Amino acid sequence: MAAEGSRDVGGRLLVLVVERDPHIRELEAHFLELAGFAIEFAADGKAALELARKVLPDVIITEILVPKLDGLALCRQIKSDPVTSGISVLIFSILAASARAKDAGADAFLSKPLADHRLVDTVQTLLEQRRRSEPKEHT
Amino acid sequence: MSDEQPGDRRAAALPRLSTGSRELDEILGGGFPTNSINIIMGEPGSGKTILAERLMFANAGDDRPILFFTTLSEPLAKVVRYLQEFEFFQEAKLVSGAVIYDSLGEDLATEGVKGLVPRLKEAIKTLSPKIIVIDSFKAIHDLSSSVPEMRRMLYEVAGLMTAYDTTVFLVGEYDEQMIPSLPEFAVADGIVELARRKQGTRDERYLRVLKLRGSHYQEGLHAFRINARGLEVYPRLTSPEVPTDYSNDRRRVSTGVTGLDQMLRGGFWVGSSTLIQGSTGSGKTTLALQFVLDGLTRGEPGLYLNFQENPTQLARSIEGLGMNVDEAKARGLHLMYASPVELQIDSILVKLFGIIKERGIKRVAVDAVGDLVHASSDLPRVLGYLYALSQHFSARKIASVMTLETSDVGLGPIAGHVSAMSDAILRVAVERVHDRSRRVLQVIKARGTEHDLDVREFVITGKGLDMVP
Repeated sequence: MAAEGSRDVGGRLLVLVVERDPHIRELEAHFLELAGFAIEFAADGKAALELARKVLPDVIITEILVPKLDGLALCRQIKSDPVTSGISVLIFSILAASARAKDAGADAFLSKPLADHRLVDTVQTLLEQRRRSEPKEHT
Repeated sequence: MSDEQPGDRRAAALPRLSTGSRELDEILGGGFPTNSINIIMGEPGSGKTILAERLMFANAGDDRPILFFTTLSEPLAKVVRYLQEFEFFQEAKLVSGAVIYDSLGEDLATEGVKGLVPRLKEAIKTLSPKIIVIDSFKAIHDLSSSVPEMRRMLYEVAGLMTAYDTTVFLVGEYDEQMIPSLPEFAVADGIVELARRKQGTRDERYLRVLKLRGSHYQEGLHAFRINARGLEVYPRLTSPEVPTDYSNDRRRVSTGVTGLDQMLRGGFWVGSSTLIQGSTGSGKTTLALQFVLDGLTRGEPGLYLNFQENPTQLARSIEGLGMNVDEAKARGLHLMYASPVELQIDSILVKLFGIIKERGIKRVAVDAVGDLVHASSDLPRVLGYLYALSQHFSARKIASVMTLETSDVGLGPIAGHVSAMSDAILRVAVERVHDRSRRVLQVIKARGTEHDLDVREFVITGKGLDMVP
């Protein structure tokens, strides 16, 4: 189920991947698409912020070490803007930054390297958590 | 980002992958770190593939598969056929797909080295492998037409393998001279070398960790043997990290000879090492054996390691000292016999420490140290072992004696070194004065205690060595 205002791409939930490493980008895209998600990419934090405001993804997966705007700053900006604050943010980094990710308002943190099952499970858990926290519609 | 918080520091050590050998894991500081690229190198027949396969089967489970790729060196069928000779082979793991053998030969033959990365990527996407072994990677190197081509390919491989949660082993017939020049060594997180050295009529095999990022590994040459279980590794004996000061322990242990205890003002120190030196027939073995047997009467288990007398001969010697060998064993005597023909110092010491730990040994006799020296082509290595051995005994509060044949030719400076590392030195001899021979004993050195300096006569009776009043 997509968040309010998010773009449902052909019935699939949208994940914005913010990553510079071409191998990780390719593998993330492969495993997330295999799990049924639609993917958008950004190679730097600034482009990611603009894209997030435009397409309102369900989840943003970002490395901390990305140019122009680092992943933690990106997360803070996403979470402080009422338009984008409902997007789940997963910090997926080579840095041991679990506490900093939490402080920045991230919904989850994962260490690299990429383990497909762990990544997909985490994204699905985040979506499930968001679904549960949304107000139920009155019938 | 500069605002690192204490909670962000990695609390746990790097996750590690067992090799399937407890001893090799110890050498590596707990195993190979996961998500690393490792090279296993050595000449043909050195045991590289066996090491990799043992590791594969030790880690194969129900989760993610383990991939073994052959390249252009050995046909896949041949690799699998020989694999079945080993005890670690489990057919069920092959059948279930927990371990997958595949060949890169066709891709490499048609595409050259460029064929590797797409094939690895495909394997990751379709199989999510936990471990990838490529054997032989050197064959891929030999296929490359230029250094830049090889570097580009390796850059891609390293990037891909670092991005994904897998651990890679590149097996190859490399030698040490290739390390500075070949690009695969620059991307490797770990390098383990297997080597073989001819020693008389047999080969001695050694394993050496040349590099292992993020690991406190044990340096130096570690001996190993190949048997049905794979590689049986004997970690190099090093001194205990915290040497103990035995002089703090004021307890004494009896030498087993009352008169000698008096000469030493109460016996040997607990945890001390004593060298008994003398010529053939002077009584060294009798004294060493008597020391160990005396411990049994005091509830102290003992170990007697010898290289000359086989178990039957030794049983006879024990009975010659008035104790039945079965009774002695029941009281805690452990006889360890190592044939001088098959002597490999590393394997002997691993067995020795295994027995010491298992049986709570308090007294040890090594008879004779010269046999160890002769068995090795590497004298400094033996010397280092003997020093470490005495330090370990000291740390474990084990009193030890070692015998040394003074007429032994070829020991050279080793005899001096062994003497220097001993806490006490006893000299036994047969002296001839005119037509009469007599046995004599002298305390040459005894650290930390006043002792009798005189040359004293002794006799060997049905109960062993006895000082003449």
